[in-house]
Amino acid sequence: MSNAAVQVDGLAKRFGDVEALGDLSFRVEPNEIFGLVGPNGAGKSTTLRIMSTLLSADEGAVEVFGADVATAPNAVREAIRYLPEEAGAYENLTGRGFLEFVAGFYADDPTGLVERGVELADLGDRITDKTSEYSKGMTRRLLLASSLMTEPRLAILDEPTSGLDVRNAREVRDVIKDYPSAERSVILSSHNMLEVEYLCDRVGLINEGEIVAVGTPTALVAEYDVENLEDVFMEVTA
Amino acid sequence: MSDFLRLVKKEARELLRPRYILPILFIPIVFVGMGQGFGGIDDQLDDEPQVGLVVNDSGQYADLLVETYEEQANVTYRESNVSANAAVDATRDSGGKTVVVIPDNFSERIAGGQQPGRVEVYSIVDSVGFGGVLSAGQGSTPLSTANEVIAANVTGATPAELNPVTSTDRTYVRGVRMDRPPSVLSEAVSTQFIFIPIAIVMVIIFSGQMVMNSMGIENENKTLETLLTMPVKRRTIVAAKLVGSAAVGLFAAGILAGSLWYYQTSLSFGDGGAGLPDAFALGGVDYALIGASVFLAVIAALAMALCLGIFAGDQQGAQVLVFPIAVLAGAPAAVSMFADVTTMALPFRAVMYAIPFTYPALAPKELMFGDSLLIAAGVLYQLVFAVAMVGLAVRLFNSDRVVTGDAGRLSDIFSSLQR
Repeated sequence: MSNAAVQVDGLAKRFGDVEALGDLSFRVEPNEIFGLVGPNGAGKSTTLRIMSTLLSADEGAVEVFGADVATAPNAVREAIRYLPEEAGAYENLTGRGFLEFVAGFYADDPTGLVERGVELADLGDRITDKTSEYSKGMTRRLLLASSLMTEPRLAILDEPTSGLDVRNAREVRDVIKDYPSAERSVILSSHNMLEVEYLCDRVGLINEGEIVAVGTPTALVAEYDVENLEDVFMEVTA
Repeated sequence: MSDFLRLVKKEARELLRPRYILPILFIPIVFVGMGQGFGGIDDQLDDEPQVGLVVNDSGQYADLLVETYEEQANVTYRESNVSANAAVDATRDSGGKTVVVIPDNFSERIAGGQQPGRVEVYSIVDSVGFGGVLSAGQGSTPLSTANEVIAANVTGATPAELNPVTSTDRTYVRGVRMDRPPSVLSEAVSTQFIFIPIAIVMVIIFSGQMVMNSMGIENENKTLETLLTMPVKRRTIVAAKLVGSAAVGLFAAGILAGSLWYYQTSLSFGDGGAGLPDAFALGGVDYALIGASVFLAVIAALAMALCLGIFAGDQQGAQVLVFPIAVLAGAPAAVSMFADVTTMALPFRAVMYAIPFTYPALAPKELMFGDSLLIAAGVLYQLVFAVAMVGLAVRLFNSDRVVTGDAGRLSDIFSSLQR
C-alpha cells in the first residue's frame, strides 16, 4: 500500500477503435491540489472517471488512498467525491433537500454536513428554492458544496468553474484552494491555465492519453523556458 | 434511513411529479367520465318509456294496444285524428320521446286475419347521443307484449301455445358440464379474460415507463454519474430504481384498473361469471399463482426497462425504448382475448410460451378452465427470466455502459429509434 493520495500506473483505456489512454502514470500526494491539463480528447475526463469508479481500466492500476478502484470500488467511493464537468441536481428537490439527500449517504446524522454544505454553497435564501429554478452558476456552486461538505479524502473536480461568471468562479476557486489538508487532496481538470496556475501545487500535462510533463507550475515554466503555463501547454501539445 | 430507502424515496418523488403522473391520471378520468355517462344511460333505460299515442281506431285490438301501453309506458300525450307532426310537437312538449299512431283500420286488418295491424312509430331524437337515441327507441318495447296479448285474444291460445318451444341450456366447457347457457361463459370471458389481461398490460407498461422515465431523468438532469460515485452498491441503486418505479407504476395502474373496472361495470357486462359451476371457481392456490405470475412479469418488465433505459438519451428517447416491452406485454394479452393459445399451431404456441408476459394473461383462463400445470411451469420460467433480467441490469450498472450509453452492436438501432 502506497502513501500517495492517488497512484496511477500504466493506465490504458480504449473505446472501440479509439485509444483514450495509453500507459498513463502519475501520483497525487496528500495535502496537494493536482491539476490534470490537456487539450480536448486528451483523456482527462476518462482518467477522472476511472479514478471515480465510473469506468473500468483496460490495463494498469489506480489506487486512491491505498484502495484499488477495480477490486475495492466501494472503499474508493467512501474516500472520494466526484464533480463531473456536466452535472446537475434533482430538479424536484430544493438546494437544501439535495444537500440532505447527498449527506445522508455519508453520516447517520447529516445535520452538520448539510449546514457546512449550505455555508459552502452560499446561496442565501435561495437554498430553499427548487434546484430547477437555479441558474447554471448556482447549480454549480450547490454541486461543489455537495462534493466538499462530506469532507472527502479526495475531491475529483472536472472543470469545477465551468460556466461560472468571474465572481462565482473566484469564490469557487477560493473554496477549492482552502480544501487540502494532511488527509485531503484535490485532483482537478481545467482548460483555464490561469486557474490551474493559481490553484494547483503540481500539474500533469496530458496529451493523447499519456502524461507528457509533470511538475509545479513554476518548475514547468522554467523547464520549458516560457512565460507561463499556457505557453507550456502549447509547447507540449504542439 | 437506509441508503436503499433514501433512494426509493428519491425515485418515487421524482416520478410523482405532475409532468409524469398527470398524463397517466388523465386516462382514468376519461374512463370514470364514460362510466358515469353509461351509468346514466342505464338509469334512463330503466325508467318507463314516455310515449304519445294517437288513437284513430276504436276497435277492440286498438283498445288492447292502448291498454298495454298504459301499463308498460308513461303515456304523456293522447289524442285522435291529429297530424303526425302535431302529435310529435305535442309529445315533445309533454316530455315524450316516441309517438305511436294507431290508424283507423288497425283492428279491422287484424280481425280480417290476412294482414297484420300496422302502427306508425315516430321516435323523437333531440339529443344525439347514446342516451337520446336509446331512450327514443324504448317507445317500441311495449309492442312485443301487445303482440302476445292481441294474438292470445284473437286465437284464444294459451301462453304455452303461443310459445310452444322452450329450452333448458347445458354447456360443456372443455369436458366439464355447466347447467347454464354459454352466455354465462361470455360474461366470465368479458370480466376475467378481457379486463384482467388489460389490467396486467397496464401494470407492465406503466411500471416499465416509470423506470424508463427514471433513467431518462437521470440522463437529462445529469445526475447519474454523481449517484454512481456515491458509497452505495450498484445493486442497491438497481433495486431502489426497480422498487421505486414499481410502486409508482402499480399506483398508476391501480387507479387506471379501478377506473376501467368502473367503466366496464357501467356497461352491465354481467355478473363476472358468478353463475359458473364450482369446478371453474378459482381457489387460493390459483390466486397465489396469478399473483406470482403478475409480480414476476412486473419485475421482469422493470428490469428490461432499466436495461433499455441505460441507452435512453433523454426522456423522449426513454418513451420510445419502452415500445418493445409494450409489444411483448400487449401481444399475449391481445391474442389470449380472442383465441385459445393452448390450441394454436405449435410454432405460434412456442413463440407465445417464450414470452414471459404470456403467463399472467393466460393464468385466469387456464386456472379456471384448463391446465394449472402450464401456469405453474410458466411461473417458474418467469422466475428464471426475471432473475436473469435483474442480473443483467446489475451487470450493466456495474459496467462502463451505464456511463457511456454504448449499446455495442445495437447502438445504431437505439440511436435510430431515438432520433
